[in-house]
Amino acid sequence: MNTIAETRAKSLLYLEDVSVSFDGFKAINSLSLVVEPGELRAIIGPNGAGKTTMMDIITGKTRPDTGKVIFEEMIDLTKKDEADIAQLGIGRKFQKPTVFESHTVWDNLELALNRSRGVFATLFYTLTAEDKARIEEILTTIRLTHRKDEYAANLSHGQKQWLEIGMLLAQEPKLLLVDEPVAGMTDAETAETAVLLREIAKTRSVVVVEHDMGFVRDLGVKVTCLAEGSVLAEGSIDFVSSDPKVIENYLGR
Amino acid sequence: MITGFILRALEGKIVVAVGILLAVAIIVPALNLLTPPDSALHIPTYAMALMGKYLCYALLALALDLVWGYCGILSLGHGAFFALGGYAMGMYLMRQIGSRGVYGNPDLPDFMVFLNWKELPWFWYGFDMFPFAMAMVLIVPGLLAFVFGWFAFRSRVNGVYLSIITQAMTYALMLAFFRNDMGFGGNNGLTDFKDILGFQVQAGGTRAVLFAMSAIMLALCLIVASAITRSKFGKVLVGVRDAESRVRFLGFRVENIKLFTFVVSAMFAGIAGALFVPQVGIINPGEFAPANSIEVVVWTAVGGRGTLIGPIIGAILVNAGKSYFTGAFPEFWLFALGGLFIAVTLFLPKGIVGTIQHGWNARKALKAAADAEKGRDAGALPAAQQAQAAE
Amino acid sequence: MRSALPPSNSPIPASIRGDIVTTTSFIRAVIAVLFFAFSGPAFAQGTDPRPLFNQLADANFNEAEKLVGEIATTGDPRVVPALNAFSEGDLYFRKSDKAVFAAKPVGLQLELIDPVTGESAGQVAKGAVTKVKVNNNLRRAIRAALGGLTLMSPDRGARLSAADAILRSPSAETLELVETALAKETDAEVKARMEEARAVSLLSSDRSVEDKRAAIETIANLGGREAMRIFSTISSSIDESLKPDVDKAIAKIQGQLQLWDLAQNVWYGMSLGSVLLLAAIGLAITFGVMGIINMAHGEMVMLGAYSTFMVQEVIRDNAPGLFDWSLAIALPVAFLVTGLVGFVIERGVIRFLYGRPLETLLATWGVSLILQQAIRTIFGPTNQEVGNPSWMSGSFPLGGMTITYNRMWIIVFSLTIFFALLFVMKKTAYGLNMRAVTQNRRMASSMGIRTPWVDALTFALGSGIAGIAGVALSQIDNVSPNLGQSYIIDSFMVVVFGGVGNLWGTLVGALSLGILNKFLEPSVGAVLGKILVLVLIILFIQKRPRGLFALKGRAVEA
Repeated sequence: MNTIAETRAKSLLYLEDVSVSFDGFKAINSLSLVVEPGELRAIIGPNGAGKTTMMDIITGKTRPDTGKVIFEEMIDLTKKDEADIAQLGIGRKFQKPTVFESHTVWDNLELALNRSRGVFATLFYTLTAEDKARIEEILTTIRLTHRKDEYAANLSHGQKQWLEIGMLLAQEPKLLLVDEPVAGMTDAETAETAVLLREIAKTRSVVVVEHDMGFVRDLGVKVTCLAEGSVLAEGSIDFVSSDPKVIENYLGR
Repeated sequence: MITGFILRALEGKIVVAVGILLAVAIIVPALNLLTPPDSALHIPTYAMALMGKYLCYALLALALDLVWGYCGILSLGHGAFFALGGYAMGMYLMRQIGSRGVYGNPDLPDFMVFLNWKELPWFWYGFDMFPFAMAMVLIVPGLLAFVFGWFAFRSRVNGVYLSIITQAMTYALMLAFFRNDMGFGGNNGLTDFKDILGFQVQAGGTRAVLFAMSAIMLALCLIVASAITRSKFGKVLVGVRDAESRVRFLGFRVENIKLFTFVVSAMFAGIAGALFVPQVGIINPGEFAPANSIEVVVWTAVGGRGTLIGPIIGAILVNAGKSYFTGAFPEFWLFALGGLFIAVTLFLPKGIVGTIQHGWNARKALKAAADAEKGRDAGALPAAQQAQAAE
Repeated sequence: MRSALPPSNSPIPASIRGDIVTTTSFIRAVIAVLFFAFSGPAFAQGTDPRPLFNQLADANFNEAEKLVGEIATTGDPRVVPALNAFSEGDLYFRKSDKAVFAAKPVGLQLELIDPVTGESAGQVAKGAVTKVKVNNNLRRAIRAALGGLTLMSPDRGARLSAADAILRSPSAETLELVETALAKETDAEVKARMEEARAVSLLSSDRSVEDKRAAIETIANLGGREAMRIFSTISSSIDESLKPDVDKAIAKIQGQLQLWDLAQNVWYGMSLGSVLLLAAIGLAITFGVMGIINMAHGEMVMLGAYSTFMVQEVIRDNAPGLFDWSLAIALPVAFLVTGLVGFVIERGVIRFLYGRPLETLLATWGVSLILQQAIRTIFGPTNQEVGNPSWMSGSFPLGGMTITYNRMWIIVFSLTIFFALLFVMKKTAYGLNMRAVTQNRRMASSMGIRTPWVDALTFALGSGIAGIAGVALSQIDNVSPNLGQSYIIDSFMVVVFGGVGNLWGTLVGALSLGILNKFLEPSVGAVLGKILVLVLIILFIQKRPRGLFALKGRAVEA
């Protein structure tokens, strides 16, 4: 067993005893979670288990009532807002694909590129050869090169999901939070997304929230099961899915 | 860097629009001054003054479009920035009257003498100097927008709430400016101007120059607006409009983006107000009326928000319509305006220019989609097939 | 201020009351007794005053003064006309038998009137009688006696007015009379008033310091501006040793007055708040619950006011007797008219714009312009005359403040509407449907609720309530095509300040903004007060963008 200090020392993201409540309803109840550098982690749990709220807390959208949220061993995320946290290197994909529909695929990626984001820097920004190469590289990764000049509004649902993942890649995050990436995807798209996420996880940590057990099994990584705002079980997919508490709370129904 | 910024602005339609505006700036005053009154080509002074007014309104609509059309902030208080710019200009013009007022007081405007004031209030200092007054045309609306936006955007007041508090802002300012002891002439406002930079405000030549300035300033602001919207910043702006939280999670400071745009827009409105006042010869608190600000919204909506040319066309069309109706059937103007509000929102949500542009883009998109279909076979499918095979 | 008019059960007919307002309050009290003396039954109390009158024939001034006192202490109110006559110099004694009569000239002769019974005793030549002489000292004594007599009048109202009169113009002479009257008085309220009158008279008499101290106490307990006035008139002449007592009493009363001022301000604030509540309550539904930025809301209020005008016109022409019922009749009319207009607007315009709040703002603004111009075209741009029914006019005092009936009824009315609406929303099936639709349209629709119907009815309900508000506001505001414009911004402020979607928030928001406004007004003036309130709301929204009573949680923030 590692001591707490040791765990925290080699963690990328470290949540300890985090709680938050809305009008008396405890959405997150003394939740603790550690994500290591380079880890791909899946999080499962029934509706209302607090998965999205947890992401809100990590990305600064919601402030926890109590508890520690530490990034890279020393940065206290509870003191930062969304923009700070994004600039620190935490990217987030929403449950519903959120891309800039009235921009082209290319512009979407250009906006997401990890460059100076100040008002005047963006006003006087010109596309460099380096940035161009980077965008093209991402376009290949997310398999959208052939649609780069199209408005994002015209993409299919699955393509929008990929574009959003591509935007997160352009952001060059150290940690990627992905909320239900395969919701509403065809089987082929689902399988392809699993490949994509494993590819991405080679260079950074990824946390995936997902309902699709088949998909989670495909990923083949450590699984955390949340229920009623706290961790119910953690381990391999087989370990977690045989846990009686998990079966009762989530799988069994 | 700056040149790149400006060059980017000069895309096709903008160049045409700027060209037209500059041509108007030359031709209309020329036809007014150089042709005899009985000539078919002659433009009477009242018509030129009317057109000059429309150009100021067009600039105001452009200002609103920058925040509403591109950034999604529906300001119902842009009339306040317009009026503040107008008051700054009006204060300069009042100081130019000097001892030619009814009371002949060289230091105090007439209304202050009337109120028995003994000395000039501190906030009137400096307005006798043209450069100072012109700086104030930008600074006062800009500062109000900065302070207001600083608080509002930081605490993430948006959507309808923001609209309502901007309306409350202009309403509060209207009440304040109606008060005599504010020191801005109460409900009579500022009027009876004599001259500007030593030229008579009413003189034909001055009017022609003012008209030309209105067209030129509109063209300049159009270029600046185009440069802003076509830069990466402009793309972020549209991003804020369409998916604010995505922009935030990409690491942009949305409040700063909004604040910058709001301030620039307020300054545009201030310029419009400053050009408006010498051409109509009066500024009074009625300009702050919430209804005025809402009317600006309909100009922008009619022309097409989110396009730069649209609001200009919209402002000119609606106001020309207003001039016609209030002359021909005064009873019907409000019916027409009200109907216009409803019709535009129901049937023409993109406005005139937006609808035309949309049709254009749809054709382009159709072609692009056809091209993409060919590409798709080569790009996307194999990966999916691979994945399936792996299963 | 305490009302100077006698209570309504006084025997003075209203027609006389109007005439006597200009005369002094003292004379008024006398007339009250006079009237009673002529109309009331014969009244015997103690000794017969007739011999006392007769003694006046031989009396010198000092003796006469004493006699007047004695006549007064008989407490027989019938002597009042004769005493008045004495004061006017119309009292005579017959040379033949030294019997004293009041007299009035009839032609060249004088008609003698019995000083007690008031019956005629025949006419005599002027030479047959001699005038009973009167001087100013005597007149003062007569006046005091009259006051005392009134104090002993059998009519309760007259006694109260007499005590009031003494309170207002006290003198040392009346002291004994008051004390005599006090001894006889049995009615608690009158007795209390007489105690006060006695205390006031006592202060200007030569009684002991202890008595005066007690009197100061009594007056201080009386409180109000009346007591303040008494103290300020006597404070210059009062004994040096009593000054601290007076100052203490003044301080105490000032404290009370401040409390009353506070109460009055709160009342004005509630009154303004109830107007805001009326204006905003319909908007709390269309904007708060349905999320429609209804800029035509003010015009619904305006239509309600015009409905009232129309109803009153019809009543004036056809059934003037029903005028007091005009508002009651106007309520359903206004509700139906504006509800119908609201229904048409929802079906015709708004239903195409759900989910696009800023577009509804523009479209409803357009609707508002059309409605305004329509009313202007039909009725003209000028103010229309809307009358107040009798029960809406006038005022009554409550402690140290004045309550006007129209304000009071508007407060009552606005609260009634509020609670009725709350009931509809929370306790009826329709309210449940409505809340279901606004919270989750698709779910509600799949559960068999006809969502378009619910939308239209809800908007009609909100509009109808605005119309009802218009009926009430027609009573206190100018009914012109611009009526609605003056309420629209305030209404939005109230709803946003209170918290969108929360009816209680609207109530608290309206009342607190009203009271805040009225408390700012005295120190900064009405316009600046309003500006300050607007600025405060703007700042408040920055701090709490969702208002006082915001719903919290993930769903709302998303």
